[in-house]
Amino acid sequence: MRLLLIEDETTLAKQIAGTLSAAGYTVDTAVDGIDGHFLGHEQTYDAVILDLGLPLLDGVSVLKRWRSAGRQMPVLILTARADWHERVAGIDAGADDYLTKPFHMEELLARIRALIRRAHGRTSDELRCGPLRLDTRSASVYLDGQPLNLTSHEYKLLACFMHRPGELIPRSELVDQLYAQDSDRDSNTIEVFIGRLRKKLPDNLIETLRGLGYRLKVPPT
Amino acid sequence: MNHLRTSLRQRLLLGTLLWILLSLGLAGWGLNRLFHDHVTRQFHAELRMHLNQLAAHLNVDTDGQPVIRATLSDPRLTRPYAGLYWQVDRLPAPGIPGRPGLLRSRSLWDFVLSVPDDHPAQGEIHDHRLPGPDGQMLRMIELVLRPEAAGSPALRLIVAANESLIEEPLAEFTRPLLIALSVLALTLSGALIVQLRFGLHPLLRLRNELTKLREGRQATVPGDFPSEIQPLVDELNEVLGRNLAFVERARAQAGNLAHAIKTPLSVMANAAAAEPGPLAALINSQVGIARQQVDHHLARARAAAAAQLPGQRCLLAPAVDGLLRLMRRLYETRSLNIAMLACDAHLAFRGEAQDVQEMLGNLLDNACKWARTTVTIDCQLDGHELRITVCDDGPGIPESDIARLLQRGTRADEAIPGSGLGLAIVDDLARLYGGSLSLGKAVSGGLQAALRLPAG
Repeated sequence: MRLLLIEDETTLAKQIAGTLSAAGYTVDTAVDGIDGHFLGHEQTYDAVILDLGLPLLDGVSVLKRWRSAGRQMPVLILTARADWHERVAGIDAGADDYLTKPFHMEELLARIRALIRRAHGRTSDELRCGPLRLDTRSASVYLDGQPLNLTSHEYKLLACFMHRPGELIPRSELVDQLYAQDSDRDSNTIEVFIGRLRKKLPDNLIETLRGLGYRLKVPPT
Repeated sequence: MNHLRTSLRQRLLLGTLLWILLSLGLAGWGLNRLFHDHVTRQFHAELRMHLNQLAAHLNVDTDGQPVIRATLSDPRLTRPYAGLYWQVDRLPAPGIPGRPGLLRSRSLWDFVLSVPDDHPAQGEIHDHRLPGPDGQMLRMIELVLRPEAAGSPALRLIVAANESLIEEPLAEFTRPLLIALSVLALTLSGALIVQLRFGLHPLLRLRNELTKLREGRQATVPGDFPSEIQPLVDELNEVLGRNLAFVERARAQAGNLAHAIKTPLSVMANAAAAEPGPLAALINSQVGIARQQVDHHLARARAAAAAQLPGQRCLLAPAVDGLLRLMRRLYETRSLNIAMLACDAHLAFRGEAQDVQEMLGNLLDNACKWARTTVTIDCQLDGHELRITVCDDGPGIPESDIARLLQRGTRADEAIPGSGLGLAIVDDLARLYGGSLSLGKAVSGGLQAALRLPAG
């Protein structure tokens, strides 16, 4: 799952990004409204955490521009501005949730999970696909009820598949899910991670569609 | 008297009325004096004319007795007690006794005028006021003629007239004069009242505009006023504008301060959470307290400024609609039924929109946190007050806990997220606006929060 964090306070941004990464998310960070708007407009994210008091372009303007351009990813506003009229303005600008500072990281994580869950039309924090069960709260995966030991990258890939079971996911999108925007990307490693993942999962659960991408097969129920 | 001191209209009315009455009184007295003098002069001139005529007709016959050769022209002299009289007296001379009333006009009939002997010089005319016939009071003039022949007695010629001949025309003049002056006084008073009403109308209009301002129906005093009042209105609008700008600036600064404090608080809390221990626990609890303090004082500072500001008014329905949209979004996952039972479009709060949203936002948020399935909000007009009721179907609160709940920092259950300030802030804000918050049990068994606020 790939998230965009737009927060101008760099210490706080690092703390949030660290917590989100530890929870299995790939996080891109922007420290001003212009950069944040650009990333949100050009890239695909599963959710965005947006501060309101940003340099260069304020958060509400960033959000309004995205929405008027048709970008519909879930957005959580994270701000110190706790007045109710500001919350109404944020929601009316197109935000999906609103969290005020200071906050507990657990609450932020729960809100992000809920946003992503809602965006995929689910009501539970658990994803199921055949013998697989993925708990987004604890970032753990179970195969036939037994915990599966996955690396961070393997978890990110499997989470991406399990959010969209039976759906073709292009290779480039999987690369995006694994690597943050500003990190060194090695697209050839995707095959390596897919190979490792396949070894830990039942045979043929992850299909390769040559030249197109990969797909998590939905077993007949 | 107190009313006189405080009412401009009463002052002007009474002052001008006094002036009108004084002026007309003086004018009446003056005109009366002038006419009196004129009538008196005429009266004396007439007496002199008759005296001259009497002197001209007086002659002495062969026996040396004075006679009047012709009848004097005025017919009143021939009618008894007609009010105009003449008389010729013989003054005593050596060897000849004096005889008052030697010759008399027929109008004197058998009455003889008795004139004090004051020895006027030859040709000198004396005035006297004497009782006459028929109870009349007479004004008379006398002239003494002394014959040239030595030893002949001197003659005193008297002409008299009833005093009422002066007073009657004077009375006839005074009465219509008084009526005319009274009519003039009434007309001037009426004109004064009309003029005052017309002249002071801009002040009445200003008062109405100020009432609208106070009731929050407008933020400034609009319209053109006479040049005497316009500078005052302009100054007032200027002060109102400055106040508003000051409040907005203060709010923005308070918001910025909160923002500046809360972000470092977040950093500290997160850093502490990453390394559990006694220090982390201390930091966490202190961060919580700091946040409560910031929220509380921010809300109070903002409302304290706005509650004193005149001309604040906002429609209730849009504020509630916005909050309901927010709540439905924030509590989407719990599928709560958040319903507005009633809120007429014209209902308005006499205060800042931000403050009513702050109060209702806290009440609705609190209700949503506790509700099982349903939250309702009902807005009614009760006299000059808005009665807003927010109910939930949650577990409710025991009566004994209600007072404690309105204290700063108290939370009914620590497991429900929130600073615990919500209801205390609502209570504070409502009081600043002269309203109140009361908590009780809802029909559905949950909490009922009833907010009373001034209607706009």
